[in-house]
Amino acid sequence: MRRQRLFLVGLLSPVTLYLGFFFFGPLLIIGVFSFLEPGLYGGVEWNFYHWNYGRIFGWADGVIEWYEPIYLTILFRSMLMAVFTVIACLVVVYPVAFWVSRLPERMQLFFMFLITLPFFTSLIIRLYAWLVILKPSGVINDLLLALGLIAAPLDMLFTRFAVVLGMVYVMIPFMFLPVYGSIERLDRSLIEASGDLGARGWQTFLKVVLPQTLPGIAGGSVLVFIPSVGNFIIPDVLGGAKGLMIGNLVEQQFLDARNWPFGAALSMVIMAVVLTVMLIYATKVVRAGQQVGDA
Amino acid sequence: MMKKFRPGVVALTIYSIVFFGFIYLPLAIVVIYSFNSNPIDMASWQSFTLDWYRGLFGLKDVDPSLGSSAIYVESTDQLLKSLRNSLIVATVTTIISTTIGTATAVAMGRYRFGLRNTYQGVMMLPMMMPDIVLGIGLLIFFITLGFKLSLLTIIIGHCTFLSSYVFIIVQARMAALDPILEEASADLGANEWVTFRKVLLPQLSPGVLGGAMLAFIISMDDLVITYFIAGTDSTTLPMFIFSMIRRGVKPEINAIATLLILASLVIAAIGLYLRTRRVE
Repeated sequence: MRRQRLFLVGLLSPVTLYLGFFFFGPLLIIGVFSFLEPGLYGGVEWNFYHWNYGRIFGWADGVIEWYEPIYLTILFRSMLMAVFTVIACLVVVYPVAFWVSRLPERMQLFFMFLITLPFFTSLIIRLYAWLVILKPSGVINDLLLALGLIAAPLDMLFTRFAVVLGMVYVMIPFMFLPVYGSIERLDRSLIEASGDLGARGWQTFLKVVLPQTLPGIAGGSVLVFIPSVGNFIIPDVLGGAKGLMIGNLVEQQFLDARNWPFGAALSMVIMAVVLTVMLIYATKVVRAGQQVGDA
Repeated sequence: MMKKFRPGVVALTIYSIVFFGFIYLPLAIVVIYSFNSNPIDMASWQSFTLDWYRGLFGLKDVDPSLGSSAIYVESTDQLLKSLRNSLIVATVTTIISTTIGTATAVAMGRYRFGLRNTYQGVMMLPMMMPDIVLGIGLLIFFITLGFKLSLLTIIIGHCTFLSSYVFIIVQARMAALDPILEEASADLGANEWVTFRKVLLPQLSPGVLGGAMLAFIISMDDLVITYFIAGTDSTTLPMFIFSMIRRGVKPEINAIATLLILASLVIAAIGLYLRTRRVE
């Protein structure tokens, strides 16, 4: 018994020490920094300073710091773009997941492999591919010009559309796997019963298929939303000035403006958004799933 | 009954083919571009060339007919150095995170203890934390504690979230194992360590290997966290490519991209082969 206990401590101490120091340490220090006064030349003064949040949320009075509504605007825009990404991923992926689930098992494995394969290709390369495609002299514009459908190249690059497109492209596996998982577990006899009882295809879909796959949809949505909302690489490569997201603001505070406390406050806001989403998922969706399981 | 659904099935199939086109065409385009000799407009095909690949490795002499702008990658040395940095980081990260993740998964899978649920939740956190938050958190942490930003800080940063990835994969494997062999081993008088080493670990090895491969790939590819905690002389490959792209699209990037796509295909194929071989 003593030996078992000792062995357990041995197994758990690496992770406890490591995460305690290098994960919770950084999180704690972001929280602390977000309440410190920015120094004149990029450092910090160790005074309590709530104006970092005042600049974002509106109680900065214009004497010490200024309230700029642009930060909230960009925060909401980022959340909106993340929501668009979630919806687009879902709409794109759902029919494919359905199609794959009807294939013979070996084929299913093959197509699952095809969908996850790009995930193993460098992220920056995948974004670069879209940069090449969307640019004014890129594939799409050349094609449309050659077909005579447009007179001048379309401005697709450096727009919010390009950012959402890039995020959808990158996040597809995160939506596909949970949705596919729930579609595969569908009770087929219920679909047949619904058809036999005279329901039309779309009625069966709305009343039978969709509710049963809701847990997969919710899981996929969380997995797509979280990396989307705080993203800064994708808006950096594809978004330009118009596609700026909250992650880019944080990066600027750290690497250009050198106002670390304000950057820390902005990333606390991102963290709050993410934790809220996770909390909603954990309390609402997981509990609802358990109730369905009980019934 | 079946006839009624036919048009739907056809439409679904066509849609799915378009979907896989959407996933793979962008990568295919980059591969094709990498062999196009047109230095100004890569979208219009001129002729087949390997010049961009030669340029990448400093083998290309300046060909005046192409114009000097199209010839070289900034510096072949820098490219190779960033590749070397990435390989060092990914290798060390894989070893550390696989050890931590596997130990945790074994503890969670074989013991009941008070804080078990807490540990389970905490292991999810680093994966769900937005990269940028973890990245700047680590940056402030390292600077405040007086760490010098280097390959070491990158490795430390990568292990914080990759231990969790390994944990998830090994835990899944753990759940599929029958504890009866370990019980037998204990009944026969083996202590915890011997049972772990001789009975549990061999059965776990596909999961451990899978977790290690995932950790290696993600570590090689990580850009956001690395971006904040890399020092000036510890540029990794994704950072090198990122800064090249920021300075403008150049034909050589297509060549690097093609090589990376090829490398990831090879790694994925090896992974698939190992997995099917284990099953048999």
